Amino acid sequence: MNQEKIRNFCIIAHIDHGKSTLADRLLQSTGTISEREMQAQVLDSMDLEREKGVTIKASAVRMGYTAQNGETYQFNLIDTPGHVDFTYEVSRAIAACEGAILVVDATQGIEAQTLANLYLALDYNLEIIAVVNKVDLQSAQPDDVAQEIEDLIGLDAIDVLPVSAKTGIGVETLLEAVVERVPPPQGNLDEPFRALIFDSHYDAYKGVIAYVRVMDGQLGKQDMVHLFATERTVEPLEIGVFRPMMKSTDSLQAGEVGYIATGLKTIRDVRVGDTVALDNNKDAIESLAGYEPVKPMVYAGFYPTEAEDYKLLKDALEKLQLNDASLIYEPETSQALGFGFRVGFLGLFHMEIIQERLEREYDLDLLATAPSVEYQILKTDGEKIIIDNPADMPEPTYIDTISEPWMHLSVYTPADYIGGVMEISTRRRGEMIKMEYLDETRVLIEFNLPLSEMIIDYYDNLKSITKGYASMDYKFGDYRASDLVKLEVLVNKEPVDALSVIVHREQSYPRGQKLVSRLKKVIPRQMFVVPIQAAVGKKVISRANIKAYRKDVTAKCYGGDISRKKKLLQNQAKAKKRMKMLGKVEVPQEAFMTVLRLSEE
Amino acid sequence: MTALGLYIHIPWCPTRCIYCDFNTYIEANQSLKERYHVALLKEIRETGIATGHPPLNTIFLGGGTPTTLNPNQMLEIIDTVAESFTLHAEAEITTESNPATLSLDYLRAIRRGGINRLSMGVQSFRQEELSLLSRLHDVPTVHHAVEWARQAEFDNLSLDLIFNLPYQTLSQWEYNLQQAINLNPDHLSIYSLILEAGTPMQRQVTQGQLPQPDDDVSADMYEATMTMLAESGFEQYEISNWAKRDIGNASFQPASVRRTEVSTPKLASAHNLIYWRNQSYLGLGAGAFGTYNQVRRANLKRPHDYIKRIETGTGLGMAQDEKTVEAIDRPTAMMEHIMLGLRLTKEGVSATEFETRFEVNLADHYQTAIDYGRSNGLLEWIEAGDDQRLRLTPSGYLLANRVIVQFIE
Ligand SMILES: Nc1nc2c(ncn2[C@@H]2O[C@H](COP(=O)(O)OP(=O)(O)OP(=O)(O)O)[C@@H](O)[C@H]2O)c(=O)[nH]1
Ligand code: SF4
Ligand SMILES: [Mg+2]
Repeated sequence: MNQEKIRNFCIIAHIDHGKSTLADRLLQSTGTISEREMQAQVLDSMDLEREKGVTIKASAVRMGYTAQNGETYQFNLIDTPGHVDFTYEVSRAIAACEGAILVVDATQGIEAQTLANLYLALDYNLEIIAVVNKVDLQSAQPDDVAQEIEDLIGLDAIDVLPVSAKTGIGVETLLEAVVERVPPPQGNLDEPFRALIFDSHYDAYKGVIAYVRVMDGQLGKQDMVHLFATERTVEPLEIGVFRPMMKSTDSLQAGEVGYIATGLKTIRDVRVGDTVALDNNKDAIESLAGYEPVKPMVYAGFYPTEAEDYKLLKDALEKLQLNDASLIYEPETSQALGFGFRVGFLGLFHMEIIQERLEREYDLDLLATAPSVEYQILKTDGEKIIIDNPADMPEPTYIDTISEPWMHLSVYTPADYIGGVMEISTRRRGEMIKMEYLDETRVLIEFNLPLSEMIIDYYDNLKSITKGYASMDYKFGDYRASDLVKLEVLVNKEPVDALSVIVHREQSYPRGQKLVSRLKKVIPRQMFVVPIQAAVGKKVISRANIKAYRKDVTAKCYGGDISRKKKLLQNQAKAKKRMKMLGKVEVPQEAFMTVLRLSEE
Repeated sequence: MTALGLYIHIPWCPTRCIYCDFNTYIEANQSLKERYHVALLKEIRETGIATGHPPLNTIFLGGGTPTTLNPNQMLEIIDTVAESFTLHAEAEITTESNPATLSLDYLRAIRRGGINRLSMGVQSFRQEELSLLSRLHDVPTVHHAVEWARQAEFDNLSLDLIFNLPYQTLSQWEYNLQQAINLNPDHLSIYSLILEAGTPMQRQVTQGQLPQPDDDVSADMYEATMTMLAESGFEQYEISNWAKRDIGNASFQPASVRRTEVSTPKLASAHNLIYWRNQSYLGLGAGAFGTYNQVRRANLKRPHDYIKRIETGTGLGMAQDEKTVEAIDRPTAMMEHIMLGLRLTKEGVSATEFETRFEVNLADHYQTAIDYGRSNGLLEWIEAGDDQRLRLTPSGYLLANRVIVQFIE
C-alpha cells in the first residue's frame, strides 16, 4: 500500500475515559467489524479485561476507511491501557505510530494519565488529535474541557473534537481528522526491510506472535527473518495483520502494522523493542532505537495454599509470562509457606491482575505475601546488595545504610481536598515539591514519596479522601537512605518469615501492634500458650498471648447418630491437614490470608 | 459381637425447647400419633422377621418425649418387641422422659409393663434457666417426679443435665449439680450446651440477644463436675456419663473387662455402651439410626413420610432414607471404633479386641496418633490382665476431639 494512504495512530487517555469504546465506534464505522460481531470494548478480549472493564494489554487492529475525498485509507489503530501500571504499553504503542487520539472525558476533564500519556506522545513527536468524549452525558462540559485542554496542553480549543464513543456522535469527523491531520509514515520502500517489534503475545499454535511496525522495505511470507537482540533467525509460520483477528497476508510493507508468527516457543526469544530484518541482509541495516526494559516496582511471594500445587503454579507463571514479558519471577522458599515464587510486578494493579489470572484461569489457590520494594543495602564490609524480600535483610549490625526507592508523584485534585491530600502524603513521609493551580478549582501537587509507603494503601486513601475526584501519576525518582528496620513477627518465639516487613522505624510500633492483634484473632488456640510478638532486632515492641486450648469435645452421639459426629471430626481432620506448621503451632491457611491481606491496609 | 440393642424413636413433645434440634414435633394431631404408633408396631414386627428374631440386650425409647405415649401404647411397644425379638431376661429397657409428663400412676404402669430404667430430662434446678430453655417443667416437678419414680420401684434412674447455659456462672452450675446429687440418682448424663444451627437459641445468640457461652467457662464447669461427682460416689465411665460407684459389673460386660480397674460400673447405660463399644443396634421409628450387619441407615425423618412408607412396605429398612445408607467398610469401622471407644473413659479401646476384630495392630497402625496423644498427656496405655487398653487421660477428656482427629487418615 502506498504509504500516503496509511495512517498509524493510537488512542491514549486516562483510565476509563473511553478509549476502548471509541475504538469500537471506529471499528464499526469503518465496517471492520460486523454488527453481529460487535460487542462493547471488543478489543478487550481477555476475560479479566471484560470483567473489570479495563484494558490491560494494548491491541492493534487494521481498518479500511473510505474518506470523503473518495480515497480509501489503511488505518492502523492501537488501543492502549489507561492504568499507570501499564504505561510501558502506551510508550511502545506510541513508537509505532505517527499520531495519537487523546481522549478526555467531558465529565472529568484532564487527569493524571491524560497528561502523562500526552507527554509520552509528544516525546515521540506524534500529531495529537484531542477529543472530548462522553458528550452525550448530561454532566458533560465539552467546552470547559476543551478550554482546559487549550490552557494546559496548548492545543487550540477549536481543534478539540466533541464525540460520544457511546452514541457515535462526532466519529465521522474524527475519522476525517485522522486522514487530514495524522501524517503518513515516511518509510523507504526501497531500503532493506526493517521493523520494530512493539508488542507480542503467545499463540498455542503459532508460537510467539511479534507485533511489528514496518519502518522500511518489505517482507514476503517466505522470507527468513532475523531478530537482532536475541540473534535468532526464524522462518515465520505466517505474516499478517489484525482485523482484529489475525489474518495472514502475503507481504508487509513500509509504514504498515502487522504481525510475524515466529513459531518460537518462549517469549524471551522475542524481545519487545527489538528490530527485525531479513536474514539475508541483516548486516546492511542498523537496529532501531528500542525501549528501555521495564523494571518491576513491587515484589511479593506467591505460594500455593496446597503444597502439591507448586508445579501448577510454576507452569501457570510460565504461561502468563508468554504474554507478559514484564512479569518476572524466581523460585523462593519460606519456612512458613513452603515452596513458592518471588514475583516482580509493575505495580499493585499488575499484581492484582496476575493473582486473579492465576486463580481464575489456572484454578490455583494462592497466598501472596505483603508487597515489598527493592532496597539497596550497603553493608559495613563495603558490599552492596539489593533485596526485595524482607527475609533477606542482614542483621542490623552488618548494615551501614539502607536505601529505598522514592517516587515522583503527581496528584491532580479539586482544590477543596488539598488539606486531605497533604495529610495522607506527609503521613507517609511525602515531601511536597510544588503545588500549582491548574485553574480556580483544580490543583496539581507534586510529591516525593517512598514507594514502600505508596504501595500500602496510598491510592485507595487518596480516592476516598477526595471522594474519587483525584487522580495520580508517578514515576521513579531516586534511591534515598532512610531509617528502615525489619519488623519481625514471632509466633511461639519463632520468626515467621512470610510476615516480616521492612518499615520506617517510626512506623514499626503501630504496624507491629496491628500485626500482633490480628494474628491473635486468627491463630486458633493450641495445646499450650502461644506468645505472639512483634520485634525489631532483638527488641520486642508488641506482644500478646493466645491462651491454651481447654475444650474440644463433642456431646453425645444422639440416638446412635454416629455419622454426624464422624462428619464433624472428619471435617476437623481435613482442616488440620490444611494447617501450616509454624514450629509447633498449627496455623490455618486462612489465618495467613487474613493477616497478609490486612497487612496491605 | 452378639450384643444387639434396639432404639425406638418417639417424635413427639408437648412443646419445643429453644435449644432443641432433635427430630421431634409438637403432638397436636392425635390421629397422626395413632397412625405413627400403628406404623411403629408394624416396623418392629417386620424388622424382627427380617432379622430372624435375634437376641436383644437393650431397648431404648428416645425422642422427642416417649412419655407422651399413654402407658398402653408404651406397653404395646415393649410387648411387640418381646414378641418379635428374643429379649434377654435381664434386658435393660429404658425410656427417656420429661418430668412434666410423669405421674405416680403413669410410672407404676410403665414399670410394671417392663420399663426398668428411667432417664429424666431435668437439665437444670434453677427456674430462670428452665424458663430460658423453655422447658415445660418447673423445679418442684422434678422433685416429685424423682420421688414417684422411686415409689414406682425404678431402681435405675438417670438424670440429664446441661451446663454452660447463657448467663450461667460456675457457682450456679455447681448448685444445679449439687441438687442433682442430693436426689441420689443412679446415673447422670451431663452435657455442655451446644448451639445447634437453626435453633431459636442459636439465632438469639448470633443476634446478640443472648450471650455467647464461653468455652473456658465450659471447661471450668466440666472440671468442677468431675471433682464433685467423684467426691459424691460417682464413677465417670464416659466423657459425659457417670454412674453410681459399684463393686459389681455392668450387665453384658465383655469378659476381658470384668473385675479389673478398668471396669465400667454396673449401672452404666447398657444401651449407650453398645454405641460406644461399636456393637450393633437397630433403630426404628422416624429418623432413627441403626448400624446392623455393617450397614448404617436412618429412617425418613418426617413422621408422615415414615408412616406412608411403613404402611406399604415390608422387611428391614422399609422406611430408610436412601441418602443415609452407608456400608461401613473396615477402615471406616476402625476409625469409628476408636472415635467411640475413646469416649469410654474407664475401659477405652482394647488392643486385643481391636486386633481380633480388624486384624490390625492398634499400637503399630496408629503409632503417630498415639504418640501425639501420649506426648501431650492426653492418652494412656493401661494394663488390664493380658490386655492393653488405650484410653484418654482425665486431661484428655476435654480435648477428646483433638486426640481422635489424629486417628483419621
Ligand atoms: N455515556 C457515555 N459513556 C461512555 C462513553 N465512552 C465510554 N463510556 C463508558 O465509560 C466507561 C469506560 O470506557 P472504556 O472504553 O472501557 O474506557 P477506557 O479508556 O478504554 O478504559 P481503560 O482501558 O481501562 O483505561 C465504560 O463504562 C463505557 O461504557 C461515551 O461517549 N458516553
Ligand atoms: S423435650 Fe427434648 S426432644 Fe422435646 S423439644 Fe425439648 S429438648 Fe427437644
Ligand atoms: Mg480500554
